[in-house]
Amino acid sequence: MNLDAKKDIWGNYQKEIANDHYFYLRSCVRQNFFPGAETTFLRIIKDELKKDIFEDPAHTTCTGIGYHGDIVPFETTMTIVARQFSLMTENGYENLVPSCITSFGLYSEVIETWDHYPQLLEKTRQNLKKATGREFVLPANLAHASDIIYKFRDEISAKAKYKLINAETGQPLRIVEHIGCHYSKMFPHKSIGGAEYPYVLIGMIESWGGEVVDYPERRHCCGFGFRQYLVKANRGFTFACTKKKFDSMEPYKPDMIITNCPGCPMFLDKGQFAISQLEGKSYGENGMGIPVFTFEEVAGLVLGYDPWDIGLQVHQIAVEPLLNKMGVKYDPEKKYLGLNDKYLGIPQMEKELNTCC
Amino acid sequence: MGKLYEELIKDVHLQEGLKACINCGTCTAICPAAEFYNYDPREITDIVQEQDDKKIEELLKSDTIWYCSECMSCKTRCPRGNTPGQIIIALRALSQEMGYFTESEKGRQQLYIKRTIGGWILNRGYCLYLEGVGTNGHPEQGPVWDWRQQNWAEVMKRLGANYEGKGPGILRKIPDEALEEIRQIFEVTGGNKRFDKIEKFSADKAKEMEMKLDDGTDNEYIKFIYSINNNNHNSK
Amino acid sequence: MYKKVTVIGGGIAGMEIAGQLAFQGLEVTLLEKSNRLGGHVANWNHLFPDLEPANKIVSKLKFSIQDNVEILYSAEIHKLQQTNRNFSITLTDGQNIFADAIVIATGFDLFNASKKEEYGYGVYNNVITSAELEEIFNSGKPLKTDKGITPQRLAFIHCVGSRDEKAGNAYCSKICCITGIKQAIEVKKANPGAEIYCFYMDLRMYDRFFEDTYFEAQAKYGIHFIRGRLSEANENKDGMLILKAEDTLTGKPIKMQVDMMVLLVGFVSSKGTREIASKFELQLENDNFLKTADQHLNTGLTNREGIFIAGTCSGPKSVAETISHARSTALIVTDYLKKINNLAEINSEL
Repeated sequence: MNLDAKKDIWGNYQKEIANDHYFYLRSCVRQNFFPGAETTFLRIIKDELKKDIFEDPAHTTCTGIGYHGDIVPFETTMTIVARQFSLMTENGYENLVPSCITSFGLYSEVIETWDHYPQLLEKTRQNLKKATGREFVLPANLAHASDIIYKFRDEISAKAKYKLINAETGQPLRIVEHIGCHYSKMFPHKSIGGAEYPYVLIGMIESWGGEVVDYPERRHCCGFGFRQYLVKANRGFTFACTKKKFDSMEPYKPDMIITNCPGCPMFLDKGQFAISQLEGKSYGENGMGIPVFTFEEVAGLVLGYDPWDIGLQVHQIAVEPLLNKMGVKYDPEKKYLGLNDKYLGIPQMEKELNTCC
Repeated sequence: MGKLYEELIKDVHLQEGLKACINCGTCTAICPAAEFYNYDPREITDIVQEQDDKKIEELLKSDTIWYCSECMSCKTRCPRGNTPGQIIIALRALSQEMGYFTESEKGRQQLYIKRTIGGWILNRGYCLYLEGVGTNGHPEQGPVWDWRQQNWAEVMKRLGANYEGKGPGILRKIPDEALEEIRQIFEVTGGNKRFDKIEKFSADKAKEMEMKLDDGTDNEYIKFIYSINNNNHNSK
Repeated sequence: MYKKVTVIGGGIAGMEIAGQLAFQGLEVTLLEKSNRLGGHVANWNHLFPDLEPANKIVSKLKFSIQDNVEILYSAEIHKLQQTNRNFSITLTDGQNIFADAIVIATGFDLFNASKKEEYGYGVYNNVITSAELEEIFNSGKPLKTDKGITPQRLAFIHCVGSRDEKAGNAYCSKICCITGIKQAIEVKKANPGAEIYCFYMDLRMYDRFFEDTYFEAQAKYGIHFIRGRLSEANENKDGMLILKAEDTLTGKPIKMQVDMMVLLVGFVSSKGTREIASKFELQLENDNFLKTADQHLNTGLTNREGIFIAGTCSGPKSVAETISHARSTALIVTDYLKKINNLAEINSEL
């Protein structure tokens, strides 16, 4: 595989990422499944990078899961999106930073639709005015949270306490990167690197010392599929997809998986658990799973944050093997403790893929 | 051009999603649903572009249109600039508009999605609000999720959330004025109309199938549509 | 007396028309931007449909112009000026070439296969273009993978960069299908044990003996044809290429592992054509090839009087079609010069 050819392609897909003054919109999935990731992201942006990032408590879901679950009509979704834009301007911001990849794809799709169909933009203005009295303007810059970390990856690298290397051998960690479908498949030119060879996570991995692993099913969807996961009768589809990816990446023996979408890591993490229960198969070393991370978690790890502050204890697949490889210092006793070391019990473990406790 | 196609063509998703298909198959080649289901996005695109109302009605009433995962991988490949995933969005919207969705096993599932995701959107302002959604209905979430459910608020606190709190933060209580704006938007833009249709047609269907359907998700019809799979969805 | 013609482009179209016009007694100058004649055809091995050696054609054409046409190599055009019916072409080295008629024979470029990112050209090993395969045929060396083994299973990929709005070219390049089938047969002849698959959407067997070649490929050489455009190629750990397509005739997605892929790259309008069009104020169509005065009777005329077209700069053509086109434009040019000479004579008598 010739990396230089990929670099040429990446060069064709660059975009403006705003430098500061971000209006942050949270992710429904991330807030529920990986709350520590959003806490970590804001900590990095504010405390490390000293940027201004603002959250209006009145912001809501973009309705992405409802829209792609086909229960929310497009007109409703467009108007709710417009309301988010209205909040952005109301607070004096023009750079939109959604935490969720489906949101990022949705905002891009809505803006693109309004560009092709000005009458829909006009209708949305009327709808929003009628429903809420609000007016809105489009964001000057729309970038996903992973685009921001990508933009400042070298600054983060400069402050890094740990690198993405095996602390014992000095070798770079072998890392699978997984990009959420809605990041670049719909609008390749709104992404870093395009749809075929997206670069946003590779840039981070390279900057932080890791080695990227490419494998045949890299571009395959993780299998969320909205209604395909939500409804139990359809759920086999989701895990068929994750299994496909794991079977494909297994020969490359990756040390970890990094994602930028909030949902994908949940499916790749829990998917390994489900597959271990359904098929008795695990994909990592020593019968364990391959630890799955979201990019903010990795940025936090690299900066030396406490893994339990980052929120890694909520992963199903044990992260300790990876932490040990990296030489990260952590206190295993504190893993499942609450605030002020409050005891909260520990998860009932299965034999395979357990988290040491 | 039949009545159904006339309706379909009003949807911007069809206008954007269908230019003209040359049946090259690059969409089906890459489609995760085509891998695992009796599903072929190329065939669907071909049927819609024929503008044959009879075939379109058949599609709207079938399981077929509900297999798509809306990943939009098809958009990356089509040499004619079509997007079968967008055509699917238009078909699903029309299927619910006409009430045809209750004719298929997969289509009937819309009520479950409406009551969960839809309920959370209107009542909480989030698409997901998962305290209490445990491994009974979602065994794949695993033992760590069980532990989280037992300690939901505490773990949230530990990880810097502002769970059900005022002001900014993770899973904050979204202010009532904001929720009211969302509800108004749903009312003005036809969101409630769609929700009502999903309810009404499902209620009719539940009656026809002689199943109990009350509010919430803990009733016969909902449990049925949530779990039933006739195992006829893949030919392998 | 108007009798000077400048032909821009020394490929087979340029050589053919230059030779024809010189034979008619005109003063012909041929401008070639590189240091050799023959264009693309000089790089090819055997031509469809009868496997005629390409170098035989190029040699014959060279012979026909070597004594009676002024050939300038490394000739790059700076600008064009026109005074009444007289043209003056200035080269970048400062030379001025005078002409009474100009023929654009600037040919085509091949589609840059790396633009079709999902096929992995340049990224994965063992992905080559049809042009590169012709070079390998010419070298006389056997076809081998990057690991030095003879490929046992190959895929020929049709429509690379053609019939593809994503790639920027909606049109069909016409001759790639027959090229692929020809090459599939040639590879099979050299290695009868190989399994060869052609991934196509439609087979353009549009000309004489093409269907015969297709039949032969199936019946005699066992080449397999899959009606499905290649959607994506990936490389696995062993360096094998994993192809994803749909077999549209059975309606099922398929995955196939091959040792090597040959991309049948299509025509694009050459850089030279687009530069000349800009400098000479000639119109292009949406497909970026030169616009012809019409589609039927005047395919040798541009929008500018006195400037003519020969060959693929106005769209994809086979070798035979290129030669025919160049010959027909030769006639149009001589007719034009006759006409303006008559007019000049009449004017001078007045």
